[in-house]
Amino acid sequence: MALLGGRMFLSLGRSNISNLGLKQTTNRVTYATALSVNSSAGNKERGGRGSVGRRPRRDPGEPRTGKMPVDQDWASVYPSATPFRSNAVPLPVRMGYPVKGGVSPEKKGNLELVKIPNFLHLTPAAIKKHCEALKPFCTEWPSALDTDAKCDEHFPIKIQSSDYVSAGPSVRNPSARIVHLKVKLSSLNLDEHARKKMLKLVGERYCKDSDILSIKTDCCPLRQQNYEYAMYLLTVLYHESWKIEAWEAEKTAADMEEYSWEDSPSQKNILDTLLRMKVAGEGEEAEVREQLLARGEVQEYKDSVVRLKNEGANENSMLQYKEAVKKVLNV
Amino acid sequence: PLARCCCCCCCCRFLPTDEPDTLFQKVVVLVKGHDRAVLDSYEFFATMAAKELGITMAKVFEPPKDIERLTLLKSVHIYKKHRVQYEMRTHYRCIELHHITGCTAQVYLEYIQRNLPEGVAMEVTKTAMEKIPDHILEPMWKDHPIDDKPSK
Repeated sequence: MALLGGRMFLSLGRSNISNLGLKQTTNRVTYATALSVNSSAGNKERGGRGSVGRRPRRDPGEPRTGKMPVDQDWASVYPSATPFRSNAVPLPVRMGYPVKGGVSPEKKGNLELVKIPNFLHLTPAAIKKHCEALKPFCTEWPSALDTDAKCDEHFPIKIQSSDYVSAGPSVRNPSARIVHLKVKLSSLNLDEHARKKMLKLVGERYCKDSDILSIKTDCCPLRQQNYEYAMYLLTVLYHESWKIEAWEAEKTAADMEEYSWEDSPSQKNILDTLLRMKVAGEGEEAEVREQLLARGEVQEYKDSVVRLKNEGANENSMLQYKEAVKKVLNV
Repeated sequence: PLARCCCCCCCCRFLPTDEPDTLFQKVVVLVKGHDRAVLDSYEFFATMAAKELGITMAKVFEPPKDIERLTLLKSVHIYKKHRVQYEMRTHYRCIELHHITGCTAQVYLEYIQRNLPEGVAMEVTKTAMEKIPDHILEPMWKDHPIDDKPSK
């Protein structure tokens, strides 16, 4: 059929096209016949589906592992993270649930070995090579800052933030914008009034035991913004705590952070009691009161009351109060 | 510290800058995965890389694993008494690095994260140290005394 078509083109006089067409048709014809002979002789079971355009199957030959020298550069076989190739790894690895009465399946055609992430590209030699290349970009830690105490002295502000790496629909993690700022109040330049005002302003963000003020900012969408907001808060707190307002003069005893014994009802009571007991010698009242205050037992009583009020009522403080009262009243 | 230079020539891409390097007092790398063996290998890789780059490692430990279990109905329709139970195990590994500079931290973390195996997640918590900024050293009311306006 094809040959007849070629002859027809010849008769029309388009010699070039017809020559090409003739050659192609002849090639196709010869190829097809050669193939059809092979396919009919060999793979009858395949139903002849692969008969058109199918190359003869070659034997796989020896796997690459047989040709690998022992002292080869492994980094060139597995330079980066690649799935496991059984013919490129010269190790007799077996993986999977053992066959009944036998061992785990071998590595050839083993899907379990392909599924698990492998570290063949990160052998110790490869890691050393990578680190040698990365060394020029690293800087050294300053040798003067050996201990944490020195670090705290020179760099008191600590900024803590988190980064997250995971696979998912999105690379971003909204928790990465949170910034924690931690400072020790002893490292800031504050006087007594400023310190008390700062503690009142800050409230729960201050930890008494460790003397650390921690500010957590997460209101802004970016970490840079949260960091700048935290620094702004610290600046504002510092400057506001140094300010003395007019209404701060109206601070009452109930606003005080710590209990102070001077001019308190407890002091008046103990002095009145002692005067009535007529412990001290006769004299003017003011002098007598001063003498009483200067006594050791009264000082002990003062310490025990202050401790009770500040720390609360635990066993030790109650015992101390009891001893002090006994000494003062000579019981 | 080095910074990329804007010129397109391939010979020198990094030039030293005068920008002060950040100092990290602590960098905590927490790796999470479903397979303990993978995390073991990753830990070996990370510790070796830290040793080669000269980074001090404070602690390398394994927090206890989390198991999330759920009980579902085995069948699509009815058969309430027949259920099937699944569990998801998350194993952790924690590596704490102390006293590391910003440049070294960037290099190490980028190296670690590029070689993070599939199916493993990482959380890095950095604690940077800073000096007290100049505007907090002295209160500003000393130079500029407050006016007598009542504050609200």
